[in-house]
Amino acid sequence: MTEPALRLVRAELFKFRTTPGAWVSIGVVALLTGLGITTSFIVARHGVAHFGAPTTTTDLRRLMGAGYTAAIVMAPVLGVLCITTEYRHRILTATLLLHPKRSDVLGAKVLASAAWGLLMGVASFVMIGIMGIPLLVAEGGSVSNLLDQVGPVLPGMLAAYVLLAVYGMGIGTLVRNQIAGVIVAVGVTLVLEPIIVAIFSSLAHMDVNFLPTRATQALAGGLSARGPGGASASTAHVLLSWWLGAIALVVWGVGTTVIGYFTTFRRDVV
Amino acid sequence: MAVVDGAVRGATIEVRGLTKRFGAVTAVDDLSFTVEPGRITGFLGPNGAGKTTTLRIMLDLALPTSGTCTIGGRRYRDIPEPARHVGAVLEATSFHPSRRARAHLEMMAIEAGLERSRVDEVLALVGLTADAHRKVGDYSLGMRQRLQLAGALLGDPGVLVLDEPSNGLDPQGIAWLRDLLRHLASEGRTILESSHLLAEMALTVDDVVIVSNGQLRAQGPLSILTTQAQSSMRVRTPEPGRLSEIARRAGYAPRPIGSDTLLVDGATPEALGPLIASNGVVVYEVVQVSQDLESVFLELTTSMTAPSESPEMARR
Repeated sequence: MTEPALRLVRAELFKFRTTPGAWVSIGVVALLTGLGITTSFIVARHGVAHFGAPTTTTDLRRLMGAGYTAAIVMAPVLGVLCITTEYRHRILTATLLLHPKRSDVLGAKVLASAAWGLLMGVASFVMIGIMGIPLLVAEGGSVSNLLDQVGPVLPGMLAAYVLLAVYGMGIGTLVRNQIAGVIVAVGVTLVLEPIIVAIFSSLAHMDVNFLPTRATQALAGGLSARGPGGASASTAHVLLSWWLGAIALVVWGVGTTVIGYFTTFRRDVV
Repeated sequence: MAVVDGAVRGATIEVRGLTKRFGAVTAVDDLSFTVEPGRITGFLGPNGAGKTTTLRIMLDLALPTSGTCTIGGRRYRDIPEPARHVGAVLEATSFHPSRRARAHLEMMAIEAGLERSRVDEVLALVGLTADAHRKVGDYSLGMRQRLQLAGALLGDPGVLVLDEPSNGLDPQGIAWLRDLLRHLASEGRTILESSHLLAEMALTVDDVVIVSNGQLRAQGPLSILTTQAQSSMRVRTPEPGRLSEIARRAGYAPRPIGSDTLLVDGATPEALGPLIASNGVVVYEVVQVSQDLESVFLELTTSMTAPSESPEMARR
């Protein structure tokens, strides 16, 4: 990486550090992870749900992956904000005056989004440490059994945060309008994908595992048949392997970014 | 491109055959002009004349339909480390409102590879040191304009491209900006400034480029432009009717501007004086009325296009 390109990445990270939106997004990740931790203590005993320490491998992985919902919602939103803030506040003008090569600017934003996405992932695991483990101990659970799930869950979950942030940046590059970008990022995850899955998978029996959320489930689920994405036993067997999920997310992120670059990012800045 | 102490000095801005179309609207139409170093050049035109579009093309923020725009012989995108060579003020809104002023400049310094100490220098230069810790969203328009200027000066560039830099400044601020630009030009920097404040521009600029409807109307030193423009003679006389007849016979078109005063357009003292003397007309006062920048500007641009019909306005 050339020195000017490295400076661009540093400047993009500086932008994150000096605006409240990026920190708020980390706060929301912590909050959602806290909710995820709480719900992972609602476990089934003899067919009845009650609050208690998770003991099975599946339930422990759910606890370890309590930041999953935060990942699929907030990481794309962060990516959207990374690029649409430039348009909303016209900072892109200042950015391009300092570095006119737009592909470099977009590349720097990809790397900065990925780095901040990683930070969000770390924040979610910090929550596991400061809230999940004490709660587990309080409920008489085994910390050692929980830590056994670090290997299967943590790398995939962190990768999911990184790749979903890049995917969000791709959406932001395509859409440009901040509010529309956030709505698209969240709407695709929470509304559109379930509809597509229902229509094409359940009715037409088509393979929808390459959709972003399903790919994230595969990646963040570790080797579990029923990972933190909450894939039920009946659907778990059709998820991709973790590495195919990672590839699918890379394609989504890079694909949307490249399409956005050629369709909108190269346009005149007025 | 002359380089002194690592920074560009005396880079000439050249616009050649520049055309920019937005669909059916032609915002800039075969525009050509040159901006010389060591001088302040005013870029004038009514709203929608194509000034901002031209500046944005100059800075590679927009692509031309045809033509070229170079600074020191290079397109903006081909200038290595452009912040060290060209500084620009384009709009007073290019800030994140939640970011502090110092952080905004530090962000620019990081991206441009400049020392952080330079941030303090430019903050002091534009008089914002005491307010540097405040969020830009709390700034007045004038303070934002100063912050924009600080950003433009961050790399100590040899060329400054300024779009309405005095917008929002109070009279003291405008006078301060005028002195600053004069000082920067005296150092050999190239300064291109667009503005609609003609009286202020008349005090500031050395050269003018006047555009309307995206086309060049005039270019040259301000002094020559105003001198070459048509002058008039104002004559106060107890015989306005007789003098009017004499002037008309001599080929002028005198206009009464009062009960005892005539304005003889196109006349000079050398031509009208003998005419008055040879005809024995009594006069109380004869004054040459030279055109100022505003008169020249209005003469060149009025009736070209109403602002509401202009290309840039139509685009928005």
